[in-house]
Amino acid sequence: MIIMKQFTLAISAIALGMGSVASAQAETDKAAVLDTYANIAAAKYTDSLITAQRLQSAVDALIAEPSAEALQAAKEAWLAARVPYQQTEVYRFGNPIVDDWEGKVNAWPLDEGLIDYVDASYGGPSDENDLAVLNVVANSAFTLSGAKVDASQITPALLEDTLQEADGIEANVATGYHAIEFLLWGQDLNGHGPGAGNRPWTDYAAADACTGGNCDRRAEYLKAATDLLVTDLEWMAAQWAEDGAARTELAKDEDAGISAILTGMGSLSYGEQAGERMRLGLMLNDPEEEHDCFSDNTHNSHFYDGMGIQNVYLGAYVRIDGSLISGPSLSDLTVAADPALDAEMQDKLSTTMMALGRIKTAAEAGFSYDQMLERGNEAGEALIMGGVDGLIDQTRSIERVVAALGVESISFEGSDSLDNPGAVFQ
Amino acid sequence: MRSWKAAILIMIAMPAWAETPDIAGIVDDHILPGYQALAARTAGLADAAQADCTPGNAHLNTAYHAAFDAWIMVSHLRFGPSEQDDRAFALAFWPDTRGATPKTLAALLRDQDPVVRSPEAFQTVSVAARGFYALELLLYDPQFQQNEAVGYRCTLITTLTQGIAASAAAILDDWEGGYADLMRGAGSNDTYRSPDEAVRQMFTALSSGLEFTAETRLGRPMGTFDKPRPNRAEARRSGRALHHVTLSLTATRDLAAALSGGDTDLDAAFGRAINRATALDDPVLATVATPEGRFRVEVLQQSITDIRQQVAEDLGPRLGIATGFNSLDGD
Repeated sequence: MIIMKQFTLAISAIALGMGSVASAQAETDKAAVLDTYANIAAAKYTDSLITAQRLQSAVDALIAEPSAEALQAAKEAWLAARVPYQQTEVYRFGNPIVDDWEGKVNAWPLDEGLIDYVDASYGGPSDENDLAVLNVVANSAFTLSGAKVDASQITPALLEDTLQEADGIEANVATGYHAIEFLLWGQDLNGHGPGAGNRPWTDYAAADACTGGNCDRRAEYLKAATDLLVTDLEWMAAQWAEDGAARTELAKDEDAGISAILTGMGSLSYGEQAGERMRLGLMLNDPEEEHDCFSDNTHNSHFYDGMGIQNVYLGAYVRIDGSLISGPSLSDLTVAADPALDAEMQDKLSTTMMALGRIKTAAEAGFSYDQMLERGNEAGEALIMGGVDGLIDQTRSIERVVAALGVESISFEGSDSLDNPGAVFQ
Repeated sequence: MRSWKAAILIMIAMPAWAETPDIAGIVDDHILPGYQALAARTAGLADAAQADCTPGNAHLNTAYHAAFDAWIMVSHLRFGPSEQDDRAFALAFWPDTRGATPKTLAALLRDQDPVVRSPEAFQTVSVAARGFYALELLLYDPQFQQNEAVGYRCTLITTLTQGIAASAAAILDDWEGGYADLMRGAGSNDTYRSPDEAVRQMFTALSSGLEFTAETRLGRPMGTFDKPRPNRAEARRSGRALHHVTLSLTATRDLAAALSGGDTDLDAAFGRAINRATALDDPVLATVATPEGRFRVEVLQQSITDIRQQVAEDLGPRLGIATGFNSLDGD
């Protein structure tokens, strides 16, 4: 990468004297940057797929022979699967093909009572959602939007076609990482206290040992949701492979492609992560506003989201097998346009990662994210606001990069916020 | 390399007749008067609650409506001082997709939480239980009128209105005490490194304000054709949902006129949308529940979408900028 950067600089220097060559070279650079971006996407989604397949094996083992150890192994596989997946989130908002698909695998927050039993403190059907306590695991038949549903078999098709976003309510999340997370951990009933969800392994036990009722149906649900996650990730990895639709779309117009990278970085930084996922939970002091609330893994979820933004800008991603995928980057393009701005951008991204790293280290040392959200917890507020401020600040620099690279006239016209706006806090 | 690129950009993006908007003029004539009105009227609201906190009393109701109007007129200006210390969120937490406002208010009332006794301590309470939308429930929702704890509710209302006034005063102080100068002096400070950056901020405020009105204020109660959701209308308990649409269009029309140098086509588009809103004559957008009512609201929404399109495709390129990121960019 260093060699590449010097090469770019050398070309730029030559280009100063030769306008027509400069224009050709600038185009080539953008194509190479888009190529790196697509290669990293392919690697990230493939890594997400591989780790989801490992989760699938662990879930199969848990269902075949339920035990505390098998449940723990499945939880660990889930946590590992989140590491590459969260780093893909930077691809969402710039690429419609990802954004249209994303809700299947990572929708959040969810009214988990749709899926399985919940504590009495969870409440009943709400003004917003009649199905908040539907409990599919316990009910093999029910009525949904006036139609009778046969749920005697819990299949990927039932989850995907009937239950996901049932009744047009986004909180009816029936598929994806967070549905699986709930089935592995259960509700986190510790409020602002330490500790994650504590579902007993016997929720998957056979016959009389079964707790929570309907253990076979719960296992069927877990299996269906995990299988669906694997097939959904297979599909997305294919879109970024050679000749894949996502890659082809990106290459159609180079400036639009560069703009898509920056849109993804800025939208995830500001509206999504700084706003909805971090600041909102803090302002509401609500532990249910944690992104990975059942597993208490929110600190990692935020950390790897931030890292995804950074590694897309730098054009370098470390795969789950330790190998490095890298190439000409957005950083290289920015250096050519305005070296000081590139330094500023890198600095801001590093500052954010330091702040997100502080949240992660504090959480891993025992100060969990839901404790940080508690009313009047000043240390927790300072930690989270450090991340929020870093993300907001880096968004300003992303906007400057958009302007410096001259891609603003294309950008955002086709962005998610104009084409498919959601409510501010959905 | 850079200047060469910049030159090309200017040729593409900036026709010769484009004018740089008058940043100082927008600050002095659009932003500051809006926040001055908000500070004055929220102080009046706090005074009214102090004098008589009984829900339903005419003086308090009038003060509530006047202050809420002033907020809606600046609700598109989500940058700078309004975003410090969560002030704007503490003034206006909506939409409340998970029912956090009634839940948090009910918990305060049930526990008789002493946090309401001091305005300072109340600043640590969830934003869902502060600001105009929480106040609306306390003043207008029957479930909060039946409460036995009249004295506690009175303290809650009084403290809450003091919090609203304090947030509004803090925003105005910051604008008058420096932030206005940062915008006026864009190009000579690090917040706004060039006039373009200040214009982009204002342009983003305009386009996200329009987006919020079309997609959230109207879009949420519209729901889908099969499942309209009139109960999601904004501030419906005090009959303000459609009024907010008209107010926000009026405010963004003013900003659009200043940014566009008085573009008559754009202004006419605002005029059409405001006329449609007025003609609806449906204060809480209840008619979205019927097919023909929903259709009429959809026509209004479409007229705002038309404005957004003009802003994005015509005004933006003319100014040589595109909208920056806003809080609606997530999902």
